[in-house]
Amino acid sequence: MKTIDIFYQGEGLAEILHLEIEPDASFADVKARLSEKHGFDAEAIIFLEDDEEPIAETARVSERAKKSGVKIHLHRCRQIDVAVTFNRETVNHRFAPGATVARVKHWAAVKKFGMSEEEAGEHVLQIAGTHDRPNAGTHIGTLTDRKTCALALDLVPDERINGALEALR
Amino acid sequence: MAPDERALRGDIAKAAYLLAEAEGRWRITSIAWPYVIASVIAKDGIAHILRLNCAGYPQAPPTGGPWDIERNAILAFDRWPRGSGGRVSAVFRPDWKNGSALYLPCDRESITGHDNWRHETPSKIWRPAAGLAQYLELVHELLHCRDYVPVARAAA
Repeated sequence: MKTIDIFYQGEGLAEILHLEIEPDASFADVKARLSEKHGFDAEAIIFLEDDEEPIAETARVSERAKKSGVKIHLHRCRQIDVAVTFNRETVNHRFAPGATVARVKHWAAVKKFGMSEEEAGEHVLQIAGTHDRPNAGTHIGTLTDRKTCALALDLVPDERINGALEALR
Repeated sequence: MAPDERALRGDIAKAAYLLAEAEGRWRITSIAWPYVIASVIAKDGIAHILRLNCAGYPQAPPTGGPWDIERNAILAFDRWPRGSGGRVSAVFRPDWKNGSALYLPCDRESITGHDNWRHETPSKIWRPAAGLAQYLELVHELLHCRDYVPVARAAA
């Protein structure tokens, strides 16, 4: 029987990681494997990428697998309090830790700051106080400081190479 | 096997590479050290082929650009990805280094002489820890931005 690819991110993990698991395994099995490997405690919650609610641990992995596998997140926080600042205005929302940077950016840029999709495409999220601009597929739960369930981001124009894109066309 | 090749082969076994391939974003198609052939899928579904010289990986950034597999040569300039004068046009520049390098801060040849990029574009400077995925993600992002001109329209 073909195994299923699990791509996982989580609190305290610096990069996306991969696990192959049997198709009849449950998410509880996945959690047990990952807890053994990375030391997640029993309170860690499993989320599917970009889902607001945790996945039932009794669910079978095969029920939620796509052709490319399953993307999950493990975190002790049920929600992350995200603050996004743009032009000195800050908006807040609570996202599940498995929310992608792309989803948070779309919410902030398009829904809250009124950008068009094209304008949003020319902006990126940057971790407040740093130059770090996480990839669109990064789960916000990986960006927390492990002390709080919160994250501060700035919405900034993408860096231009030698002045390319001086104007938004 | 030399340490740089071993390091790259170790990286491409990582989850970020497996996921990019599984999701059809980009993939490594072959390695003939120090050259790596990668395929990056644009928003119009076209697979753009890059040949990247990865000697000294990961301390040294890769360098390279669009490649014609059949001719085993730099891709004819009229077949390069095109932009409408913005981000894509700024990076895919046939006039730069005779087409042998992309005009990117994470490209080994292009960063030379561009120390200003270190503070102007810090997120696009080569990061050995991020590895080849950084270069390919940047290219993938460019091929999906609004400046990218789909091939059918570019040829019209």
